[in-house]
Amino acid sequence: MPAKNAHQSETNMPRFVALSELTGDQIALAARADGEPEWLIEQRIQAWDFFAQTPPPEWRRTNLTRLQPEQITPWIGPQGTVLHTDASQIPEGVVFKPLKYALQSHEALIHDRLARLINPLRHKFSALRMALWQDGTFLYVPRNVSVELPLHVSYTLPHGSRSLFPYSLVVLEQGAQVTFIEEFISHNVTETVLAGPTTEIFAGQASQIRFISVQRWGTGVFHLGSQMLLLDRDAQSEWVSVALGGEVQHIEAETRLQGDGSTVNWLGATFASGNQQLLTAPWLRHMGVSNESHMDFRTVVAGKGYSVFDGMIKIERESRGTITRLEEHAVHLTPEARSDSIPGLKIDTNDVASAGHASTSGQIDDEQLFYMQTRGIKRDDAVRMIVMGLFEPALTAIPVETVRTALTAAIEAKI
Amino acid sequence: MSSDLVIKNLHARIADKEGPKEILKGVDLTVRHGMIHAIMGPNGSGKSTLAHIIAGHPNYEVTAGEIWYKDQNILELEADERSKLGLFLAFQYPVAVPGVTVANFLRTAVNAHRAQEGKDPKETAIPVAEFRKMLREGMKHLDMDESFARRYLNEGFSGGEKKRLEILQMLILKPSMAIMDETDSGLDIDALRIVANGVNVLAGKEMGALVITHYQRLLNYIKPHFVSVMMDGRIVREGGPELALELEEKGYDWLREEVIGHAS
Repeated sequence: MPAKNAHQSETNMPRFVALSELTGDQIALAARADGEPEWLIEQRIQAWDFFAQTPPPEWRRTNLTRLQPEQITPWIGPQGTVLHTDASQIPEGVVFKPLKYALQSHEALIHDRLARLINPLRHKFSALRMALWQDGTFLYVPRNVSVELPLHVSYTLPHGSRSLFPYSLVVLEQGAQVTFIEEFISHNVTETVLAGPTTEIFAGQASQIRFISVQRWGTGVFHLGSQMLLLDRDAQSEWVSVALGGEVQHIEAETRLQGDGSTVNWLGATFASGNQQLLTAPWLRHMGVSNESHMDFRTVVAGKGYSVFDGMIKIERESRGTITRLEEHAVHLTPEARSDSIPGLKIDTNDVASAGHASTSGQIDDEQLFYMQTRGIKRDDAVRMIVMGLFEPALTAIPVETVRTALTAAIEAKI
Repeated sequence: MSSDLVIKNLHARIADKEGPKEILKGVDLTVRHGMIHAIMGPNGSGKSTLAHIIAGHPNYEVTAGEIWYKDQNILELEADERSKLGLFLAFQYPVAVPGVTVANFLRTAVNAHRAQEGKDPKETAIPVAEFRKMLREGMKHLDMDESFARRYLNEGFSGGEKKRLEILQMLILKPSMAIMDETDSGLDIDALRIVANGVNVLAGKEMGALVITHYQRLLNYIKPHFVSVMMDGRIVREGGPELALELEEKGYDWLREEVIGHAS
């Protein structure tokens, strides 16, 4: 019997049971035993009922045939969340701890924000995530406080577990500044594993957020996640999305430029090799006045890998003076590898300062290879350099060297 | 071992929309070790194709002939192997590689040249301090700002910056035989002088050079020992520096008439 975790309580809840046998009562019982507030338990039950009654969404470009959600055995309990922090480096008032524990100290704050950006009843999997999320992360930065040290959470697969539903909730008050790194990492698994993470970030007035999301699961993991960043007036943001691992990925992501004068610079790096199928659907939603957004996603596919970029710029009717640009470039290293790029631009206003998108896809440029080879560099090394060069903007935007080094090694290993 | 570059009866073609198109129709040329050899000729005569084929561009099909350098028929070698043998091509249109810095690219190239079969690349790699010094000296020689090293390879470079970078690469890799493909194109006089000075550090001494140019102008700065004229995929005339001056004065038409006259 392992030592009892201070925050983990004994319940009658079976720790390993297939979703098909799990009931709302059991979820409520476990939550109550953990001391969760009633409003949250209600949200969980409502989401659970929705999950149980709803067929899986029909995603055209995400193949879920190998995933039978009802057969998944969730692990209800601490979920291998590692917060990399040095408490002495965190300014006073900043909260950085597992979301579940933060409920005890910051319930009102969490109540006001949780599930306000991402509707749990959007589809079967968003509902499942709400019903079953466990420890997760709560990051709160008070007004005008700057956190110099990047705050970094790793979500890993608990030993023997076949599912994981982490919830990250990030709140920056006016003038706050922080870098938040969210990393998904595991060993390779032979059986099917479901990861269903949710991330909600509220960037207050004139705050600055740098959000780095790194997906490098081992093989066998289905990653069905949702992320949203809300920008208040004059908030500035940078978002780096890296996707390297797992078997199937379907990420719905959105930056909502709600406040006037808010900006986002969004960089993406996706590398699908082997039989991986990695989809990212990043949306830029312009609502405020004089907002600026840039999206630059780079994709590499190798082996029989398949990647999808389903990006969208949406400019709402009330938005004026928007500057926006969306770019996506995909490089194919093998003839069997595939990529789909579906950039969209939907504009409901006549007042746009500038809006554009560009998309390319193809094999590595022969002229680049030839040029590099004439300097003595072997073809394979030239390919490696060109791929690393493609990912360079995303990698250099990551401020933690250990994360960057690990990513570089992971990318090189895939080439 | 012969360090002359010897081209024998070279025929080559490229796939075209209307089928294969023959560009080189029997080139015979010897570039002597340590000598500067200019090739002049009108546009479309095959000069750049010849440069690309010597360097190993995969898009051309060599249908006959040989190119010998250091006792090897280099047509059998990959482009990177030719580089390691001591050949260098200064591109007319250098290629941009986004996300790869000049410094990283050059260090990788230097280390590729230093690599030895069966040895750990870490063992043969150039020490960082030594590389930095080499890079700094090369850039100083070409009047390049140090920030250049951190920029992405040829990305957003002006024509003059690209040509300087070609010469910087040559100074650092120290080839024994350089092919300069229209190195003067797009350069103003000041830039041309700087680039030529860079070439003259090595050319005509331990390095042989095949200098391809449309105009005689470059040859005021890089003095050739030999001049060959290429037309319609063949070398049609060979001579000394005086031939370049004659072409400058009279153009190419008289020669074309003479050559066609001879041929008919």
